[in-house]
Order: sequence, then structure tokens, then C-alpha cells
Amino acid sequence: MEMEMEMDIPAAEELEWLESNALLAEEGEEDDEYAVDQEGDTAAADYYDVESGVDEQLLLQGRSSSDDFNHQTTKKRLWSAEIDGSSIFDGGVNLVEGRGTKRIALREEDEDWLRYSPKKDTETAVSVEEIVDDPLPDVFAEDKILSRFATDIDGDCMPVTAPSGERVYAKMSTGGISGLHERSIAWKPERGLLLETISTLSEKVEQEALAKALKDSLGSTDQATSPKAHLVDEQLWVEKYAPNSFKELLSDERTNREVLLWLKQWDSSVFGSQIRATEDDVLSALRLHSSVVQHKRFVGNRSFFQENRGPLSNHNLKTPNILNGEEKNFKGTPELRSRKSMTNHPPEHKVLLLCGPPGLGKTTLAHIAAKHCGYRVVEINASDDRSASTIESKILDVIQMNSVMPDAKPKCLVIDEIDGALGEGKGAVDVILKMISAEKKSSADKENVVHEPRSGKALSKRGHKAAVLSRPVICICNDVYAPALRALRQVAKVHAFVLPTVSRVVNRLKFICLKEGFRTSTSALSALAEYTDCDIRSCLNTLQFLNKKKEALNILEIGSQVVGRKDMSRSAFDVWKEVFQKRKLKGDRKSIIDCSKHDAFDSLYSLISNRSEYELTMDGIHENFLWLSYHDPMMRKTVKCLDMLGVSDSFVQYVFRTQHMSLHAYQPPIAITMSRLIAQVEKPNIEWPRTFHRCRTLLMEKKESLRTWLSKISPLISRHLSIKSFVEDVVSPLLYILSPPTLKPVALHLLSEREKDDLCQLVDTMVSFSITYKNSKPDPLDKTPKYGATTDTLPLTLDPPVHDYVNFKDYQSEHYGLSGPMKQILVHEVDKRRILRESTGKNVNLDSESKGGNPAPANLEVASARNASSVTSYGGESKAKVSSDQRQSGTTKHPISVPDSEKSLSRGLNSKAPGHSKNSSYQSSNFFDRFRKTSSTNSKVSGELLQNAATIARDSRPLIFKYNEGFTNAVKRPVKMCDLLL
Amino acid sequence: MLWVDKYRPRTLDKIIAHEDIAQNLKKLVSEQDCPHLLFYGPTGSGKKTLIMALLKQMFGPGVEKVKLENKTWKVDAGTRTIELELTMLSSTHHVEMNPSDAGFQDRYIVQEIIKEMARNRPIDTKGKKGFKVLVLNEVDKLSREAQHSLRRTMEKYSASCRLILCCNSSSKVTEAVRSRCLNIRVNAPTEEQIIRVLEFIGKKENLQVPPAFAARIAAQSNRNLRRAILSFETCRVQQYPFTTNQTLPPLDWEQYVSEIASDIMKEQSPKRLFAVRGKIYELLVNCIPPEIILKKLLSELLKKLDSELKHEVCHWAAYYEHRMRLGQKAIFHIEAFVAKFMSIYKAFLIATFG
Repeated sequence: MEMEMEMDIPAAEELEWLESNALLAEEGEEDDEYAVDQEGDTAAADYYDVESGVDEQLLLQGRSSSDDFNHQTTKKRLWSAEIDGSSIFDGGVNLVEGRGTKRIALREEDEDWLRYSPKKDTETAVSVEEIVDDPLPDVFAEDKILSRFATDIDGDCMPVTAPSGERVYAKMSTGGISGLHERSIAWKPERGLLLETISTLSEKVEQEALAKALKDSLGSTDQATSPKAHLVDEQLWVEKYAPNSFKELLSDERTNREVLLWLKQWDSSVFGSQIRATEDDVLSALRLHSSVVQHKRFVGNRSFFQENRGPLSNHNLKTPNILNGEEKNFKGTPELRSRKSMTNHPPEHKVLLLCGPPGLGKTTLAHIAAKHCGYRVVEINASDDRSASTIESKILDVIQMNSVMPDAKPKCLVIDEIDGALGEGKGAVDVILKMISAEKKSSADKENVVHEPRSGKALSKRGHKAAVLSRPVICICNDVYAPALRALRQVAKVHAFVLPTVSRVVNRLKFICLKEGFRTSTSALSALAEYTDCDIRSCLNTLQFLNKKKEALNILEIGSQVVGRKDMSRSAFDVWKEVFQKRKLKGDRKSIIDCSKHDAFDSLYSLISNRSEYELTMDGIHENFLWLSYHDPMMRKTVKCLDMLGVSDSFVQYVFRTQHMSLHAYQPPIAITMSRLIAQVEKPNIEWPRTFHRCRTLLMEKKESLRTWLSKISPLISRHLSIKSFVEDVVSPLLYILSPPTLKPVALHLLSEREKDDLCQLVDTMVSFSITYKNSKPDPLDKTPKYGATTDTLPLTLDPPVHDYVNFKDYQSEHYGLSGPMKQILVHEVDKRRILRESTGKNVNLDSESKGGNPAPANLEVASARNASSVTSYGGESKAKVSSDQRQSGTTKHPISVPDSEKSLSRGLNSKAPGHSKNSSYQSSNFFDRFRKTSSTNSKVSGELLQNAATIARDSRPLIFKYNEGFTNAVKRPVKMCDLLL
Repeated sequence: MLWVDKYRPRTLDKIIAHEDIAQNLKKLVSEQDCPHLLFYGPTGSGKKTLIMALLKQMFGPGVEKVKLENKTWKVDAGTRTIELELTMLSSTHHVEMNPSDAGFQDRYIVQEIIKEMARNRPIDTKGKKGFKVLVLNEVDKLSREAQHSLRRTMEKYSASCRLILCCNSSSKVTEAVRSRCLNIRVNAPTEEQIIRVLEFIGKKENLQVPPAFAARIAAQSNRNLRRAILSFETCRVQQYPFTTNQTLPPLDWEQYVSEIASDIMKEQSPKRLFAVRGKIYELLVNCIPPEIILKKLLSELLKKLDSELKHEVCHWAAYYEHRMRLGQKAIFHIEAFVAKFMSIYKAFLIATFG
């Protein structure tokens, strides 16, 4: 722009000097050299800012300039010949002054110049008319201020030389001049720039007062930033310079805006519709200014400077507007969304979760944003009692207070450090979750009554369920992945804080240092910021501490100067990354490499030891290191690494056993050794080590299931089976035995004798090991189609999943799978046998009791009976030439199939009715079994097997009653019990 | 019921595999008293069978009437109370338990529970058998502390209680405990003994057992009687009229380990090591003890190895097994052994074939 061109024309130093002096004269307050420095930076921006807002001033200026024309023509004749140079110079002066006050005037003049003298910068070719027409600055209004002759000027003066060589003398301004100016305002407002300046000044004073009043009404106090405050108090800088308004926030702009947007979404439900109406007005009005605001925000990041500039800048003129404008602008992009949500409910996420490392200003942001949106902040932090009941009552307070005091501001709950204590923090999380779920339920209930007026709705909500979240809740945590927050994470809107840029932090620090009169350099400050990872809190504390000690911040000794170095614990992933990834070396020089190696060791050491979960660290290394592409043809590095892991493992075990925790100090070097071996430059692809823990839990599960299974097996067998010997020796043969390939799935009576015998033995084995088949859900992970998936829908699998123990990945076992029908048969038979066995056990007990004093224990009997049964069952079976017809008749005869032991006994043994004794060949062996059991017991006593058994059995009259509904299609006929019992 | 259990000898007289030990034991308890006993020997050699037969010899058939209890014990350990759950089998005369199930808290079991039981004399004493027997399994897995607390108990309550300890390796039982017991080493049965057992079962089951077939089973069983009988029964189920060269079904996990071994022999690289790791995890998950994996892996590798490497490989296997016992995470050490083997083998291959 041409203005910039003009700025180049006068000698820079002179102008600067003039400017400062003039300013000094005009405005007594302007003593802050810092602000002067800043002014240059922001001048251009200010220029644009004001441009559009002050039309009436333009008009005024236009008029005054025309007045000037008349007025000045008389004056200028004095030195019309050489005016060319000085006019340019005056333009410069004008510019300078204008910059100090209002740019508008200058702008107007510039335009005039442009109109009249397009070549004004080529100073030689300026015509006389142009000079005359030139609206000369008001500096010349007073004769004595600027003159060609030093003698014309009273008091101090100084020479000013124009680029053309023309020299004039300028009067050194004193306070009297400004007084003169002020006096002249009253009479002659049209007299030119100086008057303008004064009027602007007074205007500014007014605006400032207005802005301050506005600010106060918003609830923020200006005291902390007032420069006088620091002289007396001992406040922490952190508190003193805490941002007071939204614009001053140092945190990331995006995050700030999102938080604000989220809070704004509550407006409709919290404030009701009136507020919304005004908001809309403001919104539409301010959309016009959106471009202005956009420009504004380039500097807005450092807006605290501008705020502070006070009267010098006219920025404060527009502060209220800009505040609104900005906040509207934050809503700019998602405007539609927020509009929509305004008409409905509070936002879909009831809870905002802010997370990020300490010292970035999360709490500050929450407070400021809530204040900014017109809430009163209720904070619950770790120092408060955070049990569930307390929190609940607090939240209820927050909700209900509004109805009690309608004029008060609504409240916003800020729960700080929510990830802190697991036990108590959990209470808070639970309460919030409960409220959210209650909300969901109620909203589901009210889905059809959504259209009723909002106020009524709010009321009814409160009426229906007290515990509904109707005010914004902001939760703050450091570690978003804390286990306590797992549930909250899913329902809350999560915002992760990002680190602010170093330059931003440094700017703020610089400002504060200036305020405090603490001498620093930018480089030192940025080093400090980097050292503390942009933790502004620790930066400020450090600076204040140094200030107190009257020490200067030293770049080289930051490490020793920063007192409270944060104990940074990084995530496990960071640790692994550091271990696996080589640092890139900046220089190639030897010394640097040595030095950096040393540094790398130190940093890695502190990193790992700060992390302090060595087992996890080692697991991660173990899981991932084989995927690194380190050069290792002979596997030596791999061996070494695994050796180191082994050492670490024995360390852990040793420490665990002896509780010598101090030995943990030797863990990091182990990891560093490995890092030296395998670290690569490229980025490693790290996965969380799950395998080991998955294996461990699986192992536990499997062991547990084995143990429960073994406890189900009769102790006679299980005492000889430890888990170890089971998986080692027994499983594979057992599976072979359980699935004999010779077994055919045909009706039982079609089996040959030997097959029946096999089947009988198989069932016996299954029962004694308490194994059966059961329907299993089709498991996608099930890799053994052999044991399942043979039948239509639900495959039958072994009930204690014994086959799983040989089911290795990528391994095909050679076990033969039984067919589905065969399994069905087995299930049936096993059930039958089990019932029989249980009842037999009872009978035997009865027997022994009735016998009186026979000490034969049950288990022994069972055992010996088994021995006997296998031998004797052949005999039984050979007798059992049962045709199917006979069986049928047997069932018809006993519709409730009541196996009668005496009958079978007497018939079987005395061979009275050899064909009739059994209902089925299979069952027959059971009866036989049972008979043998009782008999064999007695055979110990008597030795005369058959006779004895018969008598005992008859004495005790054992009875087995099994009713299979729908099992028979025979004719039912009432039978007397005594017929069955002989 | 499996043949293993069905034909398990129940009295000392019927024992086939360790007749001499059985006879000695019989003589021992015929004096109506016995010292503390420590049975040790490899798995499948018949320790448990001997113990049960011995108990029966001492107390008669009453010991076979056992009940299974799953009791929760509350142990007062100084400041806090520890709850321990322990499964035990008990008859009127004896109690069987496995104290190492309690893991690192086994000390409390020994200190409190065993002492408690040892203190109580059985009620129905008739003068001479005034003691009850505690059978402790897997004593070698007891922690050192537990074993130390055991030794005092053994002396103090020896009037009312006899301990029968059972373990695989006496080297992991402390000297002190060993010296208080009569140590009975139960060898793995010889192949002849195994064949005799198999023939006995064959006779009982009315089977024709070709002698060569029995010998094959015995040879493959690794002198483990349980395994021999199980594979005998498996063969019976698979194919009855036995033929001499019938295939003996392998154990699945052993098969798997040999697959791992051939994987290792095929390629030696970190990637392959990663694959091997996955397979070892599979084995570990299925409750196979890591020592056994390492041992089997070594023997599988040795089969395929050049004889000049065997010594070194064995050395490293022993080295890593030792480290495994010192540590917790068996996978680290098994993997380290595999890596070491790969390294050695690769160097050997390069040296030999260039």
C-alpha cells in the first residue's frame, strides 16, 4: 500500500525520535516503551480494523481537510518555493502522529495525496499547485513549532532534514503544547489532525471506561493484570497472570473453540429461548463483521498485548463487539449444527472430558469458557470429598439452585482431576454415568412429547427423575486411558489438549517477564519452554523463583536452574519406541556422537526408570524385537537379546522373592543393552504385548477347568492323575480310546457281541471319567471339525473339552472322530449308565447296612464290581439272545419300565427264563453289573457267589424306577406293584 | 474305566513292577509302625500305587473309602487373614493333599493346616495304630519356606502322624526333610517289567498279545508304565487282532514338538524364531510344563544333529533350563535356547558347507 511507501520516505531514526517525543507530549500515559515496540507490529492491523467502523470520522475528516485548504494556503505561501520537500516530510510526520492516534485522518490525507500528487514520492517533480492543494498537516498550524529558522522557535528545537536537502527546525514539544491543543479543541474542532487526535483521545477514554465496565459486568477482574499490583503482592505468577478472558487463553485455538461451542450448545436448554433470540440478533449483526474479525484474529492470538496497550490502541473501542464477534465466529462453521441443536436439547454428549498433560491450562480453559458463557463454575477437585453420594448431592444442587434463585447465573460443574483416585474418583464417574443413562431413558420415554414447550419439558424432567443431567459437566483428567474413565470415555465428548507451540508460550513468558521487570532473552525463554515441554505453569514458577533469587535465566544451565523438573512418565509405547529407534544424529562430528551417546544413555535410563513397569517394558521388547530389521546373520544379537531378557526375568523373580526392590535399578541397563544391539533408525511398528498375558490367562483357565473336571472324577482315578501327567501321558490315548474306529452307529441289537462289549467298555470309561458329549455352539475358533461339525446344526463335542488339550495351532492330530449318530447313542447310554450307577451306589449302601456290620466300603465295591463285571458280562451277554420282538413285549409288559432286580437275578441265574431277563442287551449288562457288584461284595465274605447274591438282593428289594415318557408305543396296562416285586 | 485304573494293583502282594519294594514295605509295616516316607521317582513308575497299596496294608480296606473335600481355610498370617482353598481326599485313616496347589502361599498350608491335622489324633484308635497318615503330593514343588516349616512339624507330631511324601525328584526336597524320612526310590519300571504287566492285562482281557508287539509298546513308552498301558489300550481300540508292526499312536504334544524341531532345523532366522515362539506358546497354554517341552525339544533336535554339536547343544539346554527355573517366564528361556541353537547350527552349517 502506499502508506508503507510513505513510511519509507522520511529518515527512519528521525521520525522515530519525533514520534516518540510527540507521543510523549501528547499522551502522558504513554510511558511504556514496550507498547511502543509493539505498536509497529500491530499498526497495520489496527489500520484495517478501524477503517470500516468510522465512516462519520471520514466525513469529518473530509470537511476538515477542505477547511485546511483555505486555512493553509495563506500559511504556505511563506515557503511555497521549497515546500515540496517539507510537504513530504510533513506527510511523514503526519503519518507518525496519525499512527499514534487515529489512522483515519492519515488515510484520508493519503487519499488526497494520491488524488493530487500521484508522483509525490519522486520529490523533485512536485508542482506548486499540488503543494498548495496539499492538505498540509496541522503541525504548521502553529508558527512556532516548525520553522525554517531555528530562531523562530522558542525553547529547544531540533533540525529536521528532508530528503531533498531542505532543512527545517522543529520545536521540541512540551506539556504546554498539548494543553494548548486541548484548549483549541473546544473552539476549533475542524482545525486538523491535532484536534482530531485529542478528540479521539477523549473518545478512547470513554470507550475504555465502557469496555472496563463491560468486562466487570462479565465477571472478570482486571486487577491481576494491572501493572501496579505486582509491586506489593507475593502472588504466584501463575495465578497473577492467569488468563481472564477467553481471548487470552494460551491453549490451542481449536480446542478452545470446541469447548466453547459445546458449552454454547447448552444455551437453549439452560437459558431458555430469550437468550437465544438475542443471540440470533447478535449473530446476524455480527456476521457482517466476520471478515473484520477474521483479520483481527491473526493478531488475536496475542491479544493480551493489545488489551494491555490500553489507551494507545483504539482496539478497545470495539472490545465488546469483538468479544461477541469472536465467539460468534467460533460458532461460525458448525453454525448450522448448533442452530439445530438450539432448537432441541442439550448436546448429545452431556459430559466434556478434557485431557492432557499437566500445566497446559485445562482447568483454566474450563473455568474461562464457563464464565464466558455465563455460567457460575462449581468445581470439585481431588481435594474434595468425592464419594458417590457427595457428588450426587452436589450435582443436584447445581441443577436445582437455578429454580431457587432465578436471577443467579446457572451453574456449570467442573470436576477436576477425575482420574486421580481410583476408589473415589470412580464414585464420581459412576454418578455421572448413572445420570446420563437416566437421561437416555427419559428421553426415550419422551420421544413423542418432544414438541411440547421447552420450559415445560424441563419442568417435567425434573419432576420425573431428579437425577438427570441438565447442566454442563466438564471433567478434567491427565490420563484419558485411566481405567476409571473407561466407561466415561464412551459417553463423553473427549478433547485432548495439544501442546501449544513454543513461540506462543515464549511470547506470553516474555510479556510477563517484562511486566515483572525480569530480564531475559527470547532464546533463554524458548529453551525453558522446551525443557518443560511447554508446561507454562512450571515455566512461570521457575521464572518467579529465579526472579526472587535475582538470578538471570541462563540458557546453558537450564537443567540446573529449573528446580522442579517434572517427573515425566511417558506411556509404555514411548519407552518401546525409544528402545527400538535410534536417535538421528544431527552432526557427524566424533565428539558430538560420543556426547550424544552419553546423552542417549542418560535419557533412556531416566525414561525407563520413570516408567518403572519393567515387566511390561520387557514384555513389549520381547514381543516386538523380532520384527525389527536388524542385521543379524548369525543370530548372535538375537541370542544376546534373549539372554538379556532372561536375566531381566530372573531379576524380577529374585526381587519378587526377596523383596529387594532396590535391585530394580539394574533393569534399565538391561533394556539399554538391548537397545544398543537392535535399535534401528526407521520407525518401529510396535504392538502392545498381549500374547504373554493371553497365554497366561488361557493357561489358568485350562488348568482350572481341568481341575474341576478331575474333582468330578471319582477319587479312585483322579488321585493318580495330576494335571501334568494328564496332559503329558493321558490325553492323547484317552482320545483314541474314546473314539474307536470300529464302532458302527447302528442299532444296539445289531451289534456283534464283541462290539457290544466294546461299546459297554467305552461307556464305562466315559462314565468313570465323567465325560459325555454335549451340544456345543458352532464356534468359529473351533478348529477340530473332527470332534464336531459332523452333524447338521449343533455338533456334539466332548463335554469337558478334553480334545482342546491336543488342539495345537497348525497341527493336525490323527484322532478319529465319531460320527454324529454314534455320539447320540453314546450320550444316551452314558446318561443311562450314570443314573444306574448312582442308584446302584445307594442300593449297595442299603445292602451293607441291612447286612449289618459288613464294613465293605462303597468304593471298594464299585471297584471290584467293575473288575467282575467286565469278566462276567460275557456270560450275561451270551445268555442275552434277545430278539427285538421279545424286547418289545418286555416293554409292553412293563409300561413303566421297572427293572426288577430280583426278577432278572432269579431268571438270569437260575436260567428259568433265559430269554426274558433283559429289556435290552445293553441294559442287561447293567443289571448284571449291579448284580455282580452286590454279589462280589459278598463273595468276599462267603465266596459262594451266586447263591449269596440272590438272597441278599431279595432281602433288600432294590428297585429302579425309570419312566421314559413317549418312549414306547405299546398298550398301557395297569400292573400291581407286587407283581413286579415277586 | 481305563485299563490303567482297572488293573491297578490294590495290595502290595499284587504289585508286579516293583515287587522288591513292595515286599520291603510290607515287612516295614508289619511291625505296626512306620517312619515318615519319601517316595521319589519319575512319573508313571508307580509311586502312587505303592502308597495306596501300603496304606491298605496298614489300615485295611477302610482307606479306600475316601471322600473328596474342597475346603476353604482361613489362616491368620500376622496382620491379615488369608483364605486358602484346598482340595483333599480323606478317609478315617489318612488325608491326601497337594499343598503346592496353593502356589506361593503353600507355607501357610504347611504351617497351619498340616500342623492342625497332625495335632489331632484319630478318634477311633485302638492302641496300636494311634496315628494318621498325611500323604503330600508334589513335595518338590513346595517352596523352600514351606519345606522348612515342614521339618519341624515332622518331628513334633511324629507320635500322632506319619507323613508320606511323594515327588519326582528328591533333589528339590531339602536335605533336612530328606533326612527325616525313609527315602524310597521308585525306579521307572524296566521294559521287561512293563512287558510282564502288559501280558498280565492281556490275559485278563482275553487278548492275544504277540510278544514282539508288547516289546514295541514297552520300548516306545519311555519306561513309563502308565503310558505303556494307555497305548496298549489304544491299540486294542484301534485294531484288535494285534499285529506285530501295528502303528502305535503317537502323543500329540510330542508330535507337535518334533514339528517345532524340524521347523528349527529348516531355517534359522528371527522370523522363524517368531513362528517357533507361537508354537511354544501353544504348548504352554495347553498345560505342558516348560521343562518337559525343553527336554523333548532337545531330544528331538539331537536326533537330527551332527554328533559334534550334540555336546554343546546339551550344555546350552542345561544352561537355559537352569535359568528357566530361576525365572518366571519360561517362554523367554525356551526361546533363548532355540535362538542359541539356531545360532550354533547356522554357524556350523556355514563352516561345513560354506
